[in-house]
Amino acid sequence: MTRDSPPFPTRRETLACFGGGLGSIALASLLGKTEAAASTVPPHLTGRPKAKRVIYLFQSGGPSQMDLFDYKPRLNVEQGQELPESVRMGQRLTGMSGNQASLPLVGSPFQFKQHGESGTWMSELLPHTARIADEITVVRSMHTDAINHGPGVTFMQTGSQIGGRPSIGSWLSYGLGSANQNLPCFVVLVTKDMTGQPLVSRLWGSGFLPGKHDGVRFQPARDAVLYLNNPGGLDRSSRRRMLDALGDLHRMQIGKSGDDTLETRIAQYEMGFRMQSSIPEATDLSDEPESTFRLYGEDARTPGTYAANCVMARRLAERGVQFIQLYHQDWDHHGGLPGGLKRKCKETDQASAALVIDLKQRGLLDDTLVVWGGEFGRTNYCQGKFNANSFGRDHHPKCFSIWMAGGGVKAGHTHGITDDYCYNIADGAVHVHDFHATLLHLLGIDHERLTFQYQGRHFRLTDVHGHVVKDILA
Amino acid sequence: MRLPAIFLSVALAPAAFAQKLEFNRDIRPILSDKCFKCHGPDAKNAKSEYRLDTFGHATAEIDGVRGIVPGKPQDSEVHWRIHSTDASDIMPPPESKMSLTPAEIAILDRWIEEGAEYQEHWSFVPVPEKVEVPQVESDWIRNEIDAFVLTTLQEKGFSPSPETSREKWLRRVSFDLAGLPPTVEELDAFLADTSPDAYEKAVDRLLASDACAERLAAEWLDVARYSDSYGYQVDGNRTVWPWRDWVIRAFKENLSYDQFIVWQLAGDLLPDATRDQKLATAFNRLHPQNVEGGSIPEEFRVEYVADRVHTYGTAFLGLTMECSRCHDHKYDPVTAKDYYRLFAYFANIDEAGLYSFFTPSVPTPTLWLPDPKQEEDIARLEGEISRLERELAKRAEAAKPAFEQWLAAHPGPVTIPAPAAAFSFDANEKNTFANLVEGDPAKTSPNNRVVPGQVGNAVQLTGDDAVTLPVGNFSRDQPFSVSLWMNTPDHKERAVVFSRSKAWTDAASRGYELLLEDGKLVAALVHYEPGNALRVKAKEEFPVGSWRHVALAYDGSSRAAGLRLYLDGKPVAVEIVRDKLTRGIEGGGSDTIVIGERMRDSGFKNGLVDEFRVYEHTLSPAEVAALSANSETLSPDLAHYLTHTDPDYKDLLSKILTKRQERGALVEKIQEIMVMEEFDGEPRQSYLLERGGYQNRGEPVSPGTPAFLPPPPADAPANRLGLARWTVSPANPLTARVTVNRYWQRLFLNGLVATPEDFGSQGRLPTHPELLDWLARDFVEHGWDLKRLLKQIVLSSTYRQSSDVPSGEVASADPENTLLYRYPVAVLPAEMLRDNVLAASGLLVQQLGGNSVSPYDIAHAFKPSPPSKGRLLYRRSLYTYMRQTAPSPLMITLNASKRDVCQVKIERADSPLQGLVMLNSPQFAEAARTLAATLAEKHGADDRGVIDDAFRRLASRLPDDREREVLLKLLASETEHFSTRAEDAKALLSIGDSPPCQTDHPARVAAVATLISTLMNFDECISKR
Repeated sequence: MTRDSPPFPTRRETLACFGGGLGSIALASLLGKTEAAASTVPPHLTGRPKAKRVIYLFQSGGPSQMDLFDYKPRLNVEQGQELPESVRMGQRLTGMSGNQASLPLVGSPFQFKQHGESGTWMSELLPHTARIADEITVVRSMHTDAINHGPGVTFMQTGSQIGGRPSIGSWLSYGLGSANQNLPCFVVLVTKDMTGQPLVSRLWGSGFLPGKHDGVRFQPARDAVLYLNNPGGLDRSSRRRMLDALGDLHRMQIGKSGDDTLETRIAQYEMGFRMQSSIPEATDLSDEPESTFRLYGEDARTPGTYAANCVMARRLAERGVQFIQLYHQDWDHHGGLPGGLKRKCKETDQASAALVIDLKQRGLLDDTLVVWGGEFGRTNYCQGKFNANSFGRDHHPKCFSIWMAGGGVKAGHTHGITDDYCYNIADGAVHVHDFHATLLHLLGIDHERLTFQYQGRHFRLTDVHGHVVKDILA
Repeated sequence: MRLPAIFLSVALAPAAFAQKLEFNRDIRPILSDKCFKCHGPDAKNAKSEYRLDTFGHATAEIDGVRGIVPGKPQDSEVHWRIHSTDASDIMPPPESKMSLTPAEIAILDRWIEEGAEYQEHWSFVPVPEKVEVPQVESDWIRNEIDAFVLTTLQEKGFSPSPETSREKWLRRVSFDLAGLPPTVEELDAFLADTSPDAYEKAVDRLLASDACAERLAAEWLDVARYSDSYGYQVDGNRTVWPWRDWVIRAFKENLSYDQFIVWQLAGDLLPDATRDQKLATAFNRLHPQNVEGGSIPEEFRVEYVADRVHTYGTAFLGLTMECSRCHDHKYDPVTAKDYYRLFAYFANIDEAGLYSFFTPSVPTPTLWLPDPKQEEDIARLEGEISRLERELAKRAEAAKPAFEQWLAAHPGPVTIPAPAAAFSFDANEKNTFANLVEGDPAKTSPNNRVVPGQVGNAVQLTGDDAVTLPVGNFSRDQPFSVSLWMNTPDHKERAVVFSRSKAWTDAASRGYELLLEDGKLVAALVHYEPGNALRVKAKEEFPVGSWRHVALAYDGSSRAAGLRLYLDGKPVAVEIVRDKLTRGIEGGGSDTIVIGERMRDSGFKNGLVDEFRVYEHTLSPAEVAALSANSETLSPDLAHYLTHTDPDYKDLLSKILTKRQERGALVEKIQEIMVMEEFDGEPRQSYLLERGGYQNRGEPVSPGTPAFLPPPPADAPANRLGLARWTVSPANPLTARVTVNRYWQRLFLNGLVATPEDFGSQGRLPTHPELLDWLARDFVEHGWDLKRLLKQIVLSSTYRQSSDVPSGEVASADPENTLLYRYPVAVLPAEMLRDNVLAASGLLVQQLGGNSVSPYDIAHAFKPSPPSKGRLLYRRSLYTYMRQTAPSPLMITLNASKRDVCQVKIERADSPLQGLVMLNSPQFAEAARTLAATLAEKHGADDRGVIDDAFRRLASRLPDDREREVLLKLLASETEHFSTRAEDAKALLSIGDSPPCQTDHPARVAAVATLISTLMNFDECISKR
């Protein structure tokens, strides 16, 4: 926020919003619950949101763009030949293949076809996603600055390669507040028991924003949220009486001390109490009809799978959670790509498509933005020795593909073109900062105005960069 | 919350408009916020050449136009631009989204009219030699602090709050100084002490306690971004707690704060530095470190040094250095050159950009932390080894006559003992090469071709495929040698000819290796690259395109002089690149010699190798010459005789080997920690990195302090010690102010400067500038005595005020309490919230220092690990295992620092998850049921007794009647509730690792436990009030 915008109402922040950042003021004022300190709409809100919530299906490890979305027959023609220096142009390589004596090109072993009326290209690995070709925008021209996972994922999630900055969901919690009195506004779902490049909790951290803007991870466990349930032997009636007594003590304390911040404290305890029932209700899939499991796949019956998390994401979206961040790991195919990629697609393809279909059926797709993608792409050349069954690709930052659906993006659209080698972008480049600017734009936020002053600087999700990609807006 | 200073001055001091405007108070905040981005100190990247940051620039004429004509708004371009309605003229431009408010425009106009006076930024002006204490008569005043606070209050027409109760003060001060609640006994003793110095005695008791040292250390861990793991993605464990224990010791001994700073920045450079002084410098190595495969080491080395600079800037100078990493600061006079000159101070250590994945080595440079016994043993062994080495040298001299005699009888040719393995690569047999001596063959990939060689055939390497030998797992104590013929097809920037090591950066090159680097032969034995290794590099380039004989001969001495390279039978003139090998070279995997490639390294692409032999002794020059001549016509030399024939010499050699191996085994067990240690070679050159990119080296820079601050004395060393001394010198206007401000913040929620991390022009102005200066001056005058400073503050009337919000105008005029008209309420930091319930329940285990421990919740961290057992579950929170990517979820929920970067202020906020943790987690629930058992036992069926006692232990006072009423009702209902639920009661009373409560009245104890759990969430239990 800039200095002439209304300050945080720290003392009077009694809205008891879980997110309760800048946006709680915005929300309050929009709802007419105006307070003295919140008589104007914060300047970062454009007032024209297309999306009210986001489901971000993060595919961690770097899915191979030329084996999924970006059809490059020339690589098959020139398979085995060295990557031309005229294409690479000195681009830095990771230490994994950077010292390789040879960098032979390798084409995709998978068949590509155009799908839907839009004619969107996809490989045979994505039969279900192919069915929603006319609902999504494929962006083939993403690019990033990072060449390794840690910095790469951190960049996608926080706009900076180095840790310590708030994640997208935290920015939204801060900028929009929460419309929900019973659930956190930023929820994280990580596929259980996956190997692959490790994720770190910092990815959904609030960085320098207050800790309440941290993403809250829901786990497939007795306590979906840390210590959600009462300790053994203590039932809900006792807890109710405890909180009543605590509330009484706190109200007396307000009377004695004149400190009305305690109203917030009381409200937080009450919300915790409500969450003890609302979270189990939201995360319990037992009331889902059979048709859900037909749509998302049998995997969805197993808690903690990607498919189950996709169902959960839809349930949370229905209940007003604003930012739902999924992570699915192990797309890092340095070797064994043909088998590995097949397995990853099998784990994700049906449920990803099902989510879009399901949201549409329920009328939620129009104002829910779904994003599918990883942190970077993969090289057109083979890492290590070429072997048709077990070859691998190294990390590639100069181009990769993601898709987006709903929430104000075009349906049945492909954006951006890469060169014939799938190495550089030929047209329509979308940098990570541009992606963030666009995402915020869809949520009705001016990315240049959503700022937080820390260590003397106004920080933004998009740093000092970022342009809204108009071509993909519906 | 960040209220602009101007807002305060308007709100609180309408009189300000009658006064003359003051640049620092009224104008700089506006210019800094709205104008400096384009018209500020960052001239290079600014969109305009017009600058507003100094009087000279602002009033200069550019193209016939003057931005500011002092006293004449009508003649000033600035005036017209800020009033313009034309979108192409108006300043700030609409697209900047930084428009001025009408009030700001009016102030700027008035300032120009009043003469547009500039002031140097307040924090860059030296702390005055003497700060006058305001003369104000009042009984309220206990010390100088109060005089400043009262004067400011009175100026605004307000008065301080009444004194708080003795109980509340003791609770406050116990948390502030010791981080723990007062015990009931301490409370009783203090209430009974009616002597005039009762308060002072309580403070002295607290300051002298171990708990105080722990509490001060806990705070410093946030500043120092302390964690028990390396961070980034892999986030392996690291042992740095000995540094944390040093911090505790330093606070315990009340090391003067200037020394506390100097030791951490440059203790290693102090004359005759002690172990603790060196240990203190680990402060600079606590940044995250990376090991992700394929990362580029230089990128991360630069990141580490940058982190040191940022931490230094934030912790000591209160300056945000980060901006200047890419360009001159937009708001403050810190230039990019200033940044990289500071960078140069912190860059000169022998470190790697990535730590080792395959070995547990501690990244260099390191400090050894032997226990006294180990220290003694090491000294003894070193003595014995030196003695034996001297004897060996003597014997070599004394044996000459015997050698001459022997030589006469054995004129030649020299006979070389059989190698441990030998390969001539004449034929690939099922992907193996025959071993010419007894032993397994070498394995090869079929991609490596067999081609005509020096003798018969040779192997031609692809650079990506290995030839793996069956031998070569030598220790640094063992003599060994390798002889080979090789032929490089081209000039190699870097090529691994052979190595015994798992990987390059991924194993910090642990092992030994022969490389071509810049076209030159390089041989090395490595524990950890680069700081713990022997490395020699040929002075001449290796000839390209012809067969050459190469030998590497090592004598087991762990010295570079004992590592020899030969080319075509003659010793190679070498440059000694590193001569510091103090630990083992085995391990990490790949236990034998591999020719031609190494993991993620450049292989010997198209290189040829022939006649490869491995020896388990040091080849003598004559032996090497014989091998290179490929004939055995040469005479033996003295070295040959000594090694193979002279009985005394051989005996000494074997004794030395035994002692060295003994030393090796001992050294292996000695703990090491990362510290700073100046590189003893040519200092590492640092550069101004354009846009901060590690690859974009601009002009070379030498170490130096920021140009806009007073310089160090001319004779100060241009190293970290010079920097450290300058940091605490009278010339430095920032350090003392920043320090007293940070401690003020710990006691009063906010600092006198509310942005402790930023004393620059984007930071907040001090609410009490004179008080800040007085405290800083007084602190320095009294030897940077931290405990004295703390005592002074907590004994002031300002600190003794009630925290209740006063009725009347002041609370609405100054909701932030910047005037300090009351004691500011603060929820306890995470560490204290947890320690509080452990202490109150009697579970707390008070033990100073040691390895970090894992409380229950570590099992629920993002990367879970098993919790500790028994006593370790109940230690103070500063000992909680801190893994950067998976910190204690309980602590994080309670707003603990994430410790990934230096943090001097933690933004805290309530969330519903905190209540869940404090009501439901086993740590809190166990504390509740433990205290319940004690109280139920003590008070039996006496409800009032239970409630009063519990309240006193948890809130340090007795409940009033209404509070008691509420609690009586709760206790009654819960006693009733559990009376029919024996199983529930039993479950509740078994929570945690400690033995279940043994009681005949489980229902009663369970009911008391719910009461206590409720009180553990009560405001006065969890806040300083």
